[in-house]
Amino acid sequence: MTRERPDKKGGARLPRRKSGPALFLLGAGALLLGLMFAHAGLQRRADMPLLESPAGMVGRLELTDLCLFTEARYTRHPSQADLHSAFQDHPVALEHFPAGSMGRTPSGLRRLHAALD
Amino acid sequence: MIRLQNVRKGFNLGKSNEFVAVSDVTMAMEEKRVTVLKGPSGSGKTTLLSLIGCMARPTSGRITLENGLVRNGALAAVGGAADVEVTSLPERFLTEIRRQTFGFIFQQFNLVKGISVLENVMLPSYPTGEKHAVVRGRAMALLEMFGLAERASARVEWLSGGEAQRVAIARALMNDPPVLIADEPTAHLDSKLSREFLEILSRLKDQGKTAIIASHDPLVFEAGDVDRVIAVRDGRIEDEAA
Amino acid sequence: MPRWIEKTRSILDFTVASLLRRKGKNFSLLVVYTLVVFLLGSVLFLTQAMKREASLILKNAPEMVVQRLLAGRYEPIPAVYAATIREIRGVMSAGPRLWGYYYDPAAGANYTLLVPREDAPSGEKIVVGRGVSGSRRIFQGDIVSFRGSDGADRNFTVADELSHESELVSSDLILMSEAGFRDLFGFPAGLATDIVVSVRNPKELLTIARKVVERLPDTRPILREEMVRTYDSVFDWRGGIVIVLVLMALLAFVILAWEKASGLSADEKREIGVLKAVGWETADVTAVKACEGIVVSFLSFSAGLLAAYAHVFFFSARLFAPAMKGWSVLYPDFRITPFIDPYQVAVLFFLTVVPYTVATIVPSWRAAIIDPDSVMRS
Repeated sequence: MTRERPDKKGGARLPRRKSGPALFLLGAGALLLGLMFAHAGLQRRADMPLLESPAGMVGRLELTDLCLFTEARYTRHPSQADLHSAFQDHPVALEHFPAGSMGRTPSGLRRLHAALD
Repeated sequence: MIRLQNVRKGFNLGKSNEFVAVSDVTMAMEEKRVTVLKGPSGSGKTTLLSLIGCMARPTSGRITLENGLVRNGALAAVGGAADVEVTSLPERFLTEIRRQTFGFIFQQFNLVKGISVLENVMLPSYPTGEKHAVVRGRAMALLEMFGLAERASARVEWLSGGEAQRVAIARALMNDPPVLIADEPTAHLDSKLSREFLEILSRLKDQGKTAIIASHDPLVFEAGDVDRVIAVRDGRIEDEAA
Repeated sequence: MPRWIEKTRSILDFTVASLLRRKGKNFSLLVVYTLVVFLLGSVLFLTQAMKREASLILKNAPEMVVQRLLAGRYEPIPAVYAATIREIRGVMSAGPRLWGYYYDPAAGANYTLLVPREDAPSGEKIVVGRGVSGSRRIFQGDIVSFRGSDGADRNFTVADELSHESELVSSDLILMSEAGFRDLFGFPAGLATDIVVSVRNPKELLTIARKVVERLPDTRPILREEMVRTYDSVFDWRGGIVIVLVLMALLAFVILAWEKASGLSADEKREIGVLKAVGWETADVTAVKACEGIVVSFLSFSAGLLAAYAHVFFFSARLFAPAMKGWSVLYPDFRITPFIDPYQVAVLFFLTVVPYTVATIVPSWRAAIIDPDSVMRS
């Protein structure tokens, strides 16, 4: 039996080794994940001075909360709200509790709320 | 020499469907010869082949591979002796022996679908950890030898019966084993392709391979290159013809 | 190259080849898996970053705010309470704070009106946050009118706008003078919204809070630590709910993967038989399954996580914005600082990659029970 290498003309058309692209993808994934951490680190350092601005305003104006959810007073100032105020402020504003995530407000009620103001 | 001593193989022992496929076989097969096990289906010749090829263990009896048929790493593991009694070896060594000593050609060819001809031929070498380029070179040389170099990247489903047969033979030769084991190799081939197979067999015999073939095809056991025909029936050796 | 590396690579060759055999199926698996990681990753990144950002920004918040409770709800507090609090040992200062909410029907938005205790705008002048000026289209020099508690309109002049950088805390703010505030709301003199307290030694904060409640039993002190913790819990449960839902999806997915991997088809059984017959060990067959699990799950994990990172930190978690905003009319425009916690990424890794890989490997012990001679018998 022969054990010598194949001639070149046969070699050219051969299917490529399939683990190559797989290893490349795995490596690229790992590399990008690494870059992700590096980017996060750099971005964090760059953002720190930017955070000084809101942090300074919090100190100056004696603010207690982030202005994230402005829909109701207990969401605008969750730390200042009454305990369990979700049930007090608005008849259908339940989303402070898990059940609120499941159902949406009937549209009629929302209009009623606007008309009352 | 491959020596079988009082080899017996039973299935489902102790159950109602118990049957004995091979009972009390004692024989020896010489190297560099073509031996054919002849017999009707269900005679136990396939079971004999798998016992010889270390794919299964006999229920009782001993099988010995003599004169350095067991090579390389597997040999070192069993103490470096020239004769190896394989029946008592752990599974791991049997796998190693199967890989190094035997090349199998199955009745259905049993090529792995969905991957290329080249990959199929290379399969037996994957677990050896040899360099890819070397393995691939050897596989290509084999395909070249069987006139299949053009089909190297084809999927095995696209092959004709004759081509599939030759790929199966190439795969069996991949690790350069001294012994070839073929189970009904011509069952799915027409006469022309069967003769082609016998030609290849003759070439391999000239290269010094030992072949053990189970067949009930007269074309095979009457062929000129066959040195020995052993008739098997009901799990026993019936008679022997030169 | 060492043999085991070459061997692993060869096994990987075979793995990829066999994955490619069922391209459509495996690709859709990859997409679904990536999506699950993306959702979980986005939630984790967003909540973690917001928690960290909140704690950094609120580090200067008042050490203690004292509210008055009446029938369980908080009510304006008499300004004289501040004097009582100041008498407590260790209190450095205590002063009344005036703030409240104004619903603006014209913009349909809620504003927070606040009287700064230092440098408050004088007279009819106001300073507005970016959200207010954006929604009402009022800018420096414009005059805006608010309807007071008596039904009469009062005009205010926009003297300035708050900086864009501080939008996260000031978007809906309107700063005004004490006189303007009391007049607009009819807020009685002698009452304040709450009282801001600062102490000499932060370690005594809890003791002082206890003394405040002792002396003024109708009050409720809120500590800075609690404010920060509020944000932890807000994001924890908002994130938690989503995570629970997504985890259920993940669980279903793992069951699916298990189902797929554990039921060996006749073809697969034959294939394993062939591999074993040509000299593969059981461990080699298991390695193929392991490679399959690792390739699929690691690719999905990295793709999903990277997409989540881009989504949250480059696109400000736009997909979650509807849920975050709720009914809010004003929503601050801000880019989230990428506080990512390697520990959380590790948790995510173990939540996603490990179950899938295990689900694909464990059933492959079945490969062990397939005898190599099964291919001869078939």
